[in-house]
Amino acid sequence: MIDVNAYLGHFAFRQLRNNTAEGLLRLMDRKRIERAVVSSAASITYRNAHSGNEEIAAEIRDHRDRLIPFAVLNPAYAGWRDDLKTCHEEFGMKGLRLYPRWHSYKLTDPACLDLVHMAAELGMVVSIPLRAEDRRQRSWLVDVPDVDKDEIAGVVKAAPKAQFILMSGSGFTGSVLGRKNNGLPANYAVEICLLSALLANELGQILENLGEDRVVFGTGMPFHYPDPAILKLDVLEASEAVKEKIRRGNAARLLRLT
Amino acid sequence: MKMPRRAFLGSLGAGAALMLRASSAQDTPGSGKVIDAHDHLSNRRQKGWEEADRRMIDAADKLGIDQICCSILPPERPTTLEGFRQCNEWMADATRRFPGRVLGYCFVNPGYTKEAIEEIRRYVEGRGFIGIKLYNDYRITEPVLRPIIELAIELRVPVLSHAGHTSWLPEPQPRISDGGHLAEAGQAYPEATLICAHIAGGGDWEWTVKALRSAPNVYLDTSGSVIDEGTVEMAVRVLGADRLLFACDMSLTASVGRIRGADISEADRRKILGGNMQRILNRRRV
Repeated sequence: MIDVNAYLGHFAFRQLRNNTAEGLLRLMDRKRIERAVVSSAASITYRNAHSGNEEIAAEIRDHRDRLIPFAVLNPAYAGWRDDLKTCHEEFGMKGLRLYPRWHSYKLTDPACLDLVHMAAELGMVVSIPLRAEDRRQRSWLVDVPDVDKDEIAGVVKAAPKAQFILMSGSGFTGSVLGRKNNGLPANYAVEICLLSALLANELGQILENLGEDRVVFGTGMPFHYPDPAILKLDVLEASEAVKEKIRRGNAARLLRLT
Repeated sequence: MKMPRRAFLGSLGAGAALMLRASSAQDTPGSGKVIDAHDHLSNRRQKGWEEADRRMIDAADKLGIDQICCSILPPERPTTLEGFRQCNEWMADATRRFPGRVLGYCFVNPGYTKEAIEEIRRYVEGRGFIGIKLYNDYRITEPVLRPIIELAIELRVPVLSHAGHTSWLPEPQPRISDGGHLAEAGQAYPEATLICAHIAGGGDWEWTVKALRSAPNVYLDTSGSVIDEGTVEMAVRVLGADRLLFACDMSLTASVGRIRGADISEADRRKILGGNMQRILNRRRV
């Protein structure tokens, strides 16, 4: 399995475990997860998000065969073009994670669109976690809503050459993003960790509406237990070939892994 | 694709060398049985309720859940007398449709004191319901709850209370109870069995676990959609596995995955999955 939604480092509002490279790898071994895309959890609340990218690059230096680094960049913060260059050329990062609500910008702001276009030119995937944690348990210090799905639809439409992964979200089928023949470019995939796979079965609906090539496995570990995402694939009513695409094939293609 | 329940659970892979094998179920009461202590069936005013209830049973089959303790809630707030009476009648019918599989909680608005008492007696004493379910009509510490809790003590059934704690006032639920209220009620009524609902769907779960520490007769159900790593481990560490009850509250893969992934002993996992709830069920007077 390839997990497109994993993290290293500390989060400002809750203690995380298994959040070092070695700790995460041990957890991955226990859950039979072969590779994981990781970014800095600390960058979510660092003012200068790039400090977290430097930490991640150092942390995974000896584990690049299994840990795939993504950068967290804030296009509303000084120097992001320099930081993008460093993340791509020096750190070998294969993509970005954007936190528009935590970093206080809109995905359709000109600076963010510049960042997305530049990432696309560099062949970097742009991932958008809809949330870092459930809003009901937010700290008294901050109120960070989930990323608005219409705003996401705006950026995928504005940057058709970019490749997006939408993570840690649900309710896509209630928005334009999860509808069949929605008029949007097919340049985004949806990660499964918060999708229902029984009862409402949003996972099944998204497979039906967007197609089997646009759903990817992710857990949100170490914020999350990885087991719910694994269990979703166990109970999913789909062929083994489709499940294999979700487990690894689609992510390997998007990330250009060999 | 339906798999035999035990076979399915036995096939879950490395992290899931779990707990539910019948052959290991010798040490605690009901330890081989998986009981979902907090769930719901559909309000029958909804179109397609029958199919929705069937899907719930099918999902329980897939996940290896043997019994589901359910209530049916009306949508109106505050809960009306007609609303809870109708839902309890539907719930009684559901226990007949799925005998032994679905167990019923009697849902009431404690504000209708006399009628709520009659309703609880009718369904717990007369129809085999296993407990009382409360939503957010009143906080569990309010005086109007006293006759309800005292009746639960008399009948030896649990009171399952909707609960949540946030750092901000949830405007739609001004009278929601939290772990602190449950602990206060538990200390006031040490003979009562109270259940604090959905650790993973009630806001700041670390707060809730800490708030419940000093109320040994308050159980905590493990249901909810939030899949934060470490939730179950902290609850076991602070409260002890004997006070945790496996539950889903409609979040099925999240809730099963949470228990499956928790870094706890297999003995503790068995207690949480069914042993503890079975012990509560065994106490009933009727």
